[in-house]
Amino acid sequence: MRVALADDAVILREGLSRLLEEAGFDVVGLAADAEALLELVECTRPDVAIIDIRMPPTHTDEGLRAAKVIRERWPAIGILVLSQHVNARYALELLSAGTDGVGYLLKERVSDLDELASSVNRVGNGGSVLDPAVVGELVGRRRQADNPLEHLTDREREVLALIAEGRSNRAIAERLFVTEHTIEKHIKSIFGALGLTQSTDDHRRVLAVITYLGSQ
Amino acid sequence: MKAKLSVLAGAGTLVGGGAVWLAAHQPPGRPTEPGPVLTLLVGASLLGCGLASWRARPENRLGQIMVLTGFAWFAAQLIEASAPWLNTIGLAVQSVWIIGLVYLLLSFPSGRLRDRLDRVLITSGVALGVGLQLLAMLYGNKAGLHCPGCANNLLQVVNDNHKARGWINLRNLLAIPLIVTVIAVLIRRWLQASAAQQRAVAPVLVAGCATLAALTSTVVLDLFGDPLGALPANVYLTLMATVPVAVLFVFLQRRLARGMVAGLVVELGGPSSSTDLREALARALGDPSLELAFWFPAEECYVDGDGGVVKLPDEDSGRRSTLVERDGQPIAALLHDPVLEHNAELVSSVCAAASLALENERLQAELRARLVELQASRARLVEATDTERRRIERDLHDGTQQRLVSIAMSLGLLETKLPGQAEAARPLVRETREALALALAELRELTHGINPPLLAERGLPAALDELCRRAALPTHLDLALDRRLPDQIESAAYFTASEALTNAAKHSHGSEVRVVASYDGHNLTVKVADDGIGGATTAAGSGLRGLADRVEALGGRFTVSSPPGRGTTLRAEIPCA
Repeated sequence: MRVALADDAVILREGLSRLLEEAGFDVVGLAADAEALLELVECTRPDVAIIDIRMPPTHTDEGLRAAKVIRERWPAIGILVLSQHVNARYALELLSAGTDGVGYLLKERVSDLDELASSVNRVGNGGSVLDPAVVGELVGRRRQADNPLEHLTDREREVLALIAEGRSNRAIAERLFVTEHTIEKHIKSIFGALGLTQSTDDHRRVLAVITYLGSQ
Repeated sequence: MKAKLSVLAGAGTLVGGGAVWLAAHQPPGRPTEPGPVLTLLVGASLLGCGLASWRARPENRLGQIMVLTGFAWFAAQLIEASAPWLNTIGLAVQSVWIIGLVYLLLSFPSGRLRDRLDRVLITSGVALGVGLQLLAMLYGNKAGLHCPGCANNLLQVVNDNHKARGWINLRNLLAIPLIVTVIAVLIRRWLQASAAQQRAVAPVLVAGCATLAALTSTVVLDLFGDPLGALPANVYLTLMATVPVAVLFVFLQRRLARGMVAGLVVELGGPSSSTDLREALARALGDPSLELAFWFPAEECYVDGDGGVVKLPDEDSGRRSTLVERDGQPIAALLHDPVLEHNAELVSSVCAAASLALENERLQAELRARLVELQASRARLVEATDTERRRIERDLHDGTQQRLVSIAMSLGLLETKLPGQAEAARPLVRETREALALALAELRELTHGINPPLLAERGLPAALDELCRRAALPTHLDLALDRRLPDQIESAAYFTASEALTNAAKHSHGSEVRVVASYDGHNLTVKVADDGIGGATTAAGSGLRGLADRVEALGGRFTVSSPPGRGTTLRAEIPCA
């Protein structure tokens, strides 16, 4: 899988590049800011672009804006945004337009090579990734007492969080040591409780959950 | 100046000689009074004292007024001339000198009329003394104008002596209340003056009121056909001659200046602390344009009451300055009209009298300026804190955090490279990596608390929204704010809400929080209310004290209402100029 990488910090850019190559990815180019990234993507058309949110010149959300541009011009390219902060708003901004091939991950996750490789692969294959810390924050928000989320069981909330992270039924079942059939039952119950229409399409399912969590 | 006065003196001597000659050679049938002696006495008194006053106090118009009145007096004697045109002029200006006398008395001692009433009195005098006289002259001649022996009146248009006599009688009748009013005004003014001023102006007041009273009785007796003959007129004319002497006497005595200064001292020492020092000094010096500037020793410059730096005028600027010192130290500068230079003695005694008050005013002006400076420095301090927060956050983000992440990456890499037999080392590496992840998470929380990125990047509404969603207690946000405000205002509002939410979660034992942020075009108001146990204070050392400082440094108001058992409501109102 071909990957382009943008981060203004040299040690991270180089280190991440080594990690990705180690994991078997083909790193097609490195960029130090959003402008260079867009040129790089234009020339190399990678499968996935990994982008640091905060880059020069303003050190605010350049990476996020670059991600939106890439999404518009080359919808087939997967995007994995890296952030130093748990910023649920930015994550929702990124994912609410469509979850296929989009991911938002905390930078420190890159230390777990398996997890990093699986995230890049998921995004490259049109899936979605949302950092567990962001999901945890969205699910854990204190809401008014009559909120349907409050009525979910602990297990159901666990499943909901894993859906939001972008994981498939099989992955969720493996993680929780149960059968896929059990997971499907949980999902049916969760969607019923939240008043969401269940879809067999994974993308739509993630989108529905994220939109629901973000709107509360 | 000297030449001008000499020319006027020469002209006065000539005119006066002519008038005295006319008075000595009265044709029969003309008014007998004043005789040559009184003509000379009154005229010489007006002109002589007028010129002397003019010379002694050039900035005061009273000298000029007396000289003019003197010429008007001599002109009135043309009534004795045999040539018809001279006689006509004499008739027309007969009462002008009386108007001059009234003006002199009303405007004493400043030379300026004080108020509307003064101006109404003078205008009425002109209407009676000149207006009605000219009207009578349009109709009457000789006997019709109470002057059977006069030459032909050249202004006569209609031959109606009866009407002319009517106008003249009306003039005399109206003159009585007018003059009585003038006397009343003068006496009331005298009663209201300070004791020192009363003493200073007494001679002029006595001479003036006596003259006016004698004039009134003369006019009244005239209405009854002059039973006492020429006596009343001679009395009032003799008194008249003393008025200019009294004016000159007061001027030369300088008692006036001392009286003014004494009045100033009384005024400044009075119970009303709000006495406007500038107004009082302007009155005492007779210079309405007076300005004050105070010496600021630290800045080594003069500053006006509003804190603006004042440059002292130079020679060509048409203004002068007098410096006031106290114990050898400069206190203030008086910026005034150059005419006051002729009266340096008055200026210096006024400065001496007012130096304490000026020092007081100077200290107040300095205090005001320091307060403004203090407020500005508080605001700068807050701004510096914000800048420092941003710098620390940036340094942590770009430095420490990146380095830790890179170490974590290296560890991850290391883990994959461990050879099979080192399986025992694997858990250790994993543990290290997890500890590192924890450190990174803590650092992330820390930097977020120092400077929430969303606030800088998306503004207060987004940051507050996120803050409320993340809050530990269920929080409802009410937002009436649709624009970006200056950074330090947004920061203050954000940290107010953030601290209040933290407090509510930690101490309130409440179940719900309500946050309201609204902007009305002038003020940003942030209100955070919980339904907990209350009892919060802004006492020193509490987090709320820091918030109050921050809000107040921006000129805002910070209030906490926290009655026991009834929840805590925290309110910050920040002006957005």
